[in-house]
Amino acid sequence: MTLEENVRKIPSSALEATSEKLIDIVLNSPNANKMPSGLAKTILYYWQRDQLATEIGLQRLLEASVLVDPEKTASVLRELGLHELVAVLEES
Amino acid sequence: MIDFGIEFVPRDLYWKTTFYAIQAEKTGFNTLWVTDHFNNRNVYVSLAIVSAYTDKIRFGPGVTNPYMAHPIVTAQAVATLNEIAPGRVLCGLGVGDRTTLEMVNMKPSKPLATIRESVRIIREISSGQNLEMQGKIFAVSGAKLNFRTPSKIPIFVGAQGPKMLALAAEIGEGVLINASHAQDITRAMEFIKEGVARKGKSIEDLEVAAYTSFSIAKEQKKAVKAVIPVVAYIVAGCPESVLQKHGISLETATKIRQAIIQARWKDAFSQITNEMVEAFSVCGTPEIVVEKVSDLVKVGTTQVVAGSPIGPNIRKSINMIAAEIFPHFGSEEEEKHD
Repeated sequence: MTLEENVRKIPSSALEATSEKLIDIVLNSPNANKMPSGLAKTILYYWQRDQLATEIGLQRLLEASVLVDPEKTASVLRELGLHELVAVLEES
Repeated sequence: MIDFGIEFVPRDLYWKTTFYAIQAEKTGFNTLWVTDHFNNRNVYVSLAIVSAYTDKIRFGPGVTNPYMAHPIVTAQAVATLNEIAPGRVLCGLGVGDRTTLEMVNMKPSKPLATIRESVRIIREISSGQNLEMQGKIFAVSGAKLNFRTPSKIPIFVGAQGPKMLALAAEIGEGVLINASHAQDITRAMEFIKEGVARKGKSIEDLEVAAYTSFSIAKEQKKAVKAVIPVVAYIVAGCPESVLQKHGISLETATKIRQAIIQARWKDAFSQITNEMVEAFSVCGTPEIVVEKVSDLVKVGTTQVVAGSPIGPNIRKSINMIAAEIFPHFGSEEEEKHD
């Protein structure tokens, strides 16, 4: 199952909390400079439109957080009970 | 109603500054200032991208200076921004940060004449006029932009000393006072009143912004820790008269400045006392910050700028300001919901 398909399985009640945690990882990571400019601009686009807690916004946030801090991302997803998503990330 | 501004230092990655700018707009800040130092990311490039991702917040360089950039270049830059974001652009201009200017052997000579002439050049050129001027500092012969600008750009003059404060009030649409303490704003207002009287305008026509070093956190200790590096820079560049008012010796300030120039950060920051933090920042828990902002408003501030560092976690601090500070001051967002 792809990352996109797994993101779709996040319960809607958990979208906001997941988004918040991933934003924190992306903004505060010492490896934030690993973020490609194109991905950064996509995230800004969704942020401006309040769409970072939607499936499409979360997919991009997840892509970014895995790039800048894969371990912390996995840990946060585990905390949120999103074990299937962690398994997909670990396989990829 | 008081305006709330926010300052970003483009030391951060461009997308972080832009992320926080979008957040500032969403949470109800009215104005956004981006600092201009040669060793950070370029202020106008940073503002151009901010303008593309925001719709209503006012923004501008806060502040640029005429020593590193000729005012005609500043006029061109703000006029171009005003084409991208009509009516939202401001121009903050001051003599510049002494410590950074020293790094490139620049001396802010004849500051009053330089700022007066710069404001004229920026104002006339950015509003599409053809300028002929033989000043003491700058000479401009028939300069004019090859493009039209949609609206007038308000100029805010950054000031700290008495003569510059009076000049700022006389020639600017706004004054950016580099101060965080009500005592300094009270003193500044005396000279600001002189300046507006000189020009025959009313104090109500002038925006008076307290450009504070700001740090808010749930825990006082964390707020203080975050603000110390900024206070070190302020003390290092502070005029002697202001240092004296707060009981800080010139010798201590010089030591701090030398440590900063030589990148001895630990030495510089370890000399910062609680008294310096109190004098040169709005720092603390939300309750303390409400009290300090109230003090600034009482003495005539019309815009409080939450300057660097904003807090130990910028995103959380912006949300904290919106949730716990704005409601005490009838922010724009609150008015909208009434």
